[in-house]
Amino acid sequence: MKILVPVKRVVDYNVKVRVKADQTGVETANVKMSMNPFDEIAVEEAVRLKEAGIATEVIAVSCGLLSCQETLRTALAIGADRAILVETDVELQPLAVAKLLAAVFKKESPDLVILGKQAIDDDSNQTGQMLGALLGRPQATFASKVVIEGGAAQVTREVDGGLETIKITLPAIVTTDLRLNEPRYVTLPNIMKAKKKPLENVKPADLGVDVTPRLKTLKVTEPPKRSAGVKVPDVATLVAKLKNEAKVI
Amino acid sequence: MSDLKTAFAAIVGESNVITGDFAAYANDWRKKYFGKPLLVVKPGTVEEVAALVKLCAETKTPIVPQAGNTGLVGGGVPDESGTEVIISVARMTKVLEVDTINNTMTVEAGCILQTLQETAAEHDRLFPLSLAAEGSCRIGGNISTNAGGVQVLRYGNTRELVMGLEVVLPSGEIWNGLRGLRKDNTGYDLKHLFIGAEGTLGIITKAVLKLFPAPRSTQTVFIGLESPQKAMDLLGFMKGALGDRITAFELISDFGLSLVTKYFPQLKAPLPPAFPWFVLSDIADSRDAAALTADVEAALGEAIEQGIILDCAIAKNETEGNRMWELRENMTESQVHEGRSIKHDVSIPISKIADFIKAADAALEKAYPGVRPITFGHVGDGNLHYNVAHPLASFTEPNWTKELDRVNLIVHDATAQFNGSISAEHGIGQLKREEIKRYKSALELQVMKNIKAAIDPQNIMNPGKVI
Repeated sequence: MKILVPVKRVVDYNVKVRVKADQTGVETANVKMSMNPFDEIAVEEAVRLKEAGIATEVIAVSCGLLSCQETLRTALAIGADRAILVETDVELQPLAVAKLLAAVFKKESPDLVILGKQAIDDDSNQTGQMLGALLGRPQATFASKVVIEGGAAQVTREVDGGLETIKITLPAIVTTDLRLNEPRYVTLPNIMKAKKKPLENVKPADLGVDVTPRLKTLKVTEPPKRSAGVKVPDVATLVAKLKNEAKVI
Repeated sequence: MSDLKTAFAAIVGESNVITGDFAAYANDWRKKYFGKPLLVVKPGTVEEVAALVKLCAETKTPIVPQAGNTGLVGGGVPDESGTEVIISVARMTKVLEVDTINNTMTVEAGCILQTLQETAAEHDRLFPLSLAAEGSCRIGGNISTNAGGVQVLRYGNTRELVMGLEVVLPSGEIWNGLRGLRKDNTGYDLKHLFIGAEGTLGIITKAVLKLFPAPRSTQTVFIGLESPQKAMDLLGFMKGALGDRITAFELISDFGLSLVTKYFPQLKAPLPPAFPWFVLSDIADSRDAAALTADVEAALGEAIEQGIILDCAIAKNETEGNRMWELRENMTESQVHEGRSIKHDVSIPISKIADFIKAADAALEKAYPGVRPITFGHVGDGNLHYNVAHPLASFTEPNWTKELDRVNLIVHDATAQFNGSISAEHGIGQLKREEIKRYKSALELQVMKNIKAAIDPQNIMNPGKVI
């Protein structure tokens, strides 16, 4: 069984994001970048399926700038077998990424695609669903458990108010939630091995996909600053303020 | 007392003289000392501090200067006589100036350390002093104790970070030494007397602090190796390969790590427990993160090939780096769960650390067969927290605390044997005042006493501490 794992390069979760002065986006120059944490969970799950003898090959794929190679190397260090970079410097939106992934899917014919439920930079939560629609294949989103049996995947999903378990026919798309697994640390010997694994570079044109953005970003701004607190002299003033100013009691 | 209280209130205002509920000021953080002050006063300006001290000098009232009260050796709390006045700088929290060209900031003594780190960050600079108590300790106390912390390897102790001071002397006079000069050879460098004096020579009210370029990226690594000697070999190797970009280099024994993973099961060890020793290290750079990671991978790859290290986990994002540090930060607490250990804060010349560990382990094993040393610390700067857990067969936790003096003596004698210090970063305070006499020469102690007598002839400034 072949597994395709799309991974996205994003600003590291711990970095305090700053908006560019011209309000066209967020600052990424000289900022620590890492693999989208949900995608890291997807790579871990695919590699565990391979280690359990269920999967035979894990292919990581990333779309974007040449520097996405670093993110692919991380996937290879976790245990993916080979990687594909779809290189472009065009700003990619979820639909364009889904189309690129659909093209890679048709080329590679995997039995399963596992990817993060969303990326922590744009929080779109669209790519997995769009990919399922474009391919006409079943999808199971927000997975907290994945069991492969025969030609199907039994997936436990985190839904409002509880867990839902569904069975979908392979090939299928699974998007990961936080509790699916805890990704491993990568060790130096595995990083060294990863440098020798194959990394293929293709362009959107090679895949016959038009990635021109369809959404136009008008403006990016910082959330309003939290105003400073005030000290009140006594309880009565506090109650009055809560009643009249905050209007919460 | 009421006269004094009235006089103090006239200087700082009634609400800033505390006459009851002293707990937050009179007891130390480790709950070892429970002092009884006469009063606590909280001045808001240097002029108020000076007026208070002048009054104390006239009435020969002993003073305990206090900042955040997070010290570990009882240096900032009063004795039990009920005669000492605590002068707290906690209200003096203004940042007066941030100069990004001179790379300095001028601040009042009561500023919380973390606030200063954040202030520097807002100006795209780094104030590198960082330690466990940073959310509540105050810079005046950090300077008075010459605090160390986790970044000493690259940036030095607090002493290296202070360029100028303003101090109220025991006479009540104000010495203004707020110079932001990197070069100033004009006689005795007085600021160094007050740094690390633990409030025995005066009250620090303001300081000019050094700032550094803010690092853009930090790579955390967790390394498995064979012995403390290999760790020292690795430090030398990494300094050669990565230069002064190494900001932290912590040694952790397998026993120490196993206690953390035992009591904090949610914290996963980054490497299998098959290795006897571990090193946790941070390498930071103002360049691009990817280039830094590539340098670190290349250097440590070479270290594996040369047989210096056995294995190494490389944090693939900052979350993982923080998790690696959580292991280190929970070492002290995990020891509390295992049964209180006997603690030491020693420093050893870096090249002798491995020999010291061997000698101290052997001496303790001879005295207490089955004893369990928990060895960890900032070995990059020679600082070792050499803690000793009781032998399981022959001692229980309460019995073990009775052995404190004997265990201290064994460890500190081994420290002296390698020309080390029995208090690397926590200071002397009340806790080590008697013990220090065993390890410092009579001449050195006499010179210290002469300095104290020259500046504080009435002995009113934090009496009974340090000397």
